[in-house]
Amino acid sequence: MVQTAAAMEAYNAYWVNSVIPGANTMWMVLILILAVIALWQARTFVSKF
Amino acid sequence: MDLKALKAQESKRKISKGYMWALFCAVFWGIWYLPGTVVWVLNPFDEMYSAIAETGGDGTALIITAVLITAFNALTVMLALMLWNGVLGKYGELGRTLKEFHPCSKWFFLASIFGGPMAILGSFIAMGFIGGAFAAVAALLYPVVGSVLAYYWYGEKISRRAAIGIGVIIVGGVTIFGGGLLTELSSGNVQWIGYLGGLMAAAGWGIEGAIAGKGLDISEPDVGLTLRFLGENIIWWIIIVPILAIVGYPMYSFALQAFEPFTMLVLIFAGITFGFCYVCWYKSFPLIGVGRGQGIGNLYGLFAIIFIFLFFGDVPQWTILVGGTLCVIGSFVMFTEETSALETLRGE
Repeated sequence: MVQTAAAMEAYNAYWVNSVIPGANTMWMVLILILAVIALWQARTFVSKF
Repeated sequence: MDLKALKAQESKRKISKGYMWALFCAVFWGIWYLPGTVVWVLNPFDEMYSAIAETGGDGTALIITAVLITAFNALTVMLALMLWNGVLGKYGELGRTLKEFHPCSKWFFLASIFGGPMAILGSFIAMGFIGGAFAAVAALLYPVVGSVLAYYWYGEKISRRAAIGIGVIIVGGVTIFGGGLLTELSSGNVQWIGYLGGLMAAAGWGIEGAIAGKGLDISEPDVGLTLRFLGENIIWWIIIVPILAIVGYPMYSFALQAFEPFTMLVLIFAGITFGFCYVCWYKSFPLIGVGRGQGIGNLYGLFAIIFIFLFFGDVPQWTILVGGTLCVIGSFVMFTEETSALETLRGE
């Protein structure tokens, strides 16, 4: 199944008032950045403790 | 540098890392609300909700759809945790801990019962029968349950300062959701099952933290948490989803439809944020104790408001700003505690 037009419209409606440009994809970028930082900190933590 | 100074320095490093992990937990938990909110409008969950609501009503539709979303969330959390353990080179440790059921992994399977069906389902019941703000406020009370249980069960010390910090963060959280809470409670249509759900959320996460604290005495947090989610996946996919299908809900047909690329992408991001949030939560417990870890973790309410403002554009009310300030003050009360007070987390 693919997303219906109504579902995509509802999804896009969430980001319309965002203060961040391209918010409908930027949230994923932010999560990836945070995840990489957390993994890096976890690696550092394992090597020091 | 003498031995005493070295010990104090090591203790200070350990505590600062503990607070860092608890803060990471709060950030990931806060940002989880983005995929956790938008996934509801995507196929097949929107259609599942409408189909069940037609025959069973909105409350039932919300809970049954929530079960399927939570089951998928647990599945993608497992994927995120396998990545986490892979990066840290802990697959060997994972196998060793899994085999040691009696001394070790039993705690994490037990934690999955309280954290999964009890806390998460309770939170959804509170959300469905009273409202989102009530569910959030009820969940914010879990550090009280966690720290009291950890104190009486295995004598975890909770200083006066830490108790004040946890209390201020809880008051801040209640203030954040206060406006919505009053509206929901004054609607006059509140059902007792919603309160039961709120109690399940607070008790479930609190008990989970205390049990995890016990299990983490003899195992690594990264692998311990992975086993906890293995337990949760078993509960959802082998027990609850099949039972609901037998009862007559269309669980499998909608579950198969969820393997749609965009829905899976959103679920994977929900899994990353939820999984990493949980693993950071568990990592903080042995370093700063269950009470402090859960107290700082409660800052998720503040981070959720910040991310929702940034990405959804929902401008916070003044009560949210007052509550947010209280959360920050409560955190500082805890962060600035003398590290000597945290050298031993358990009472002698």
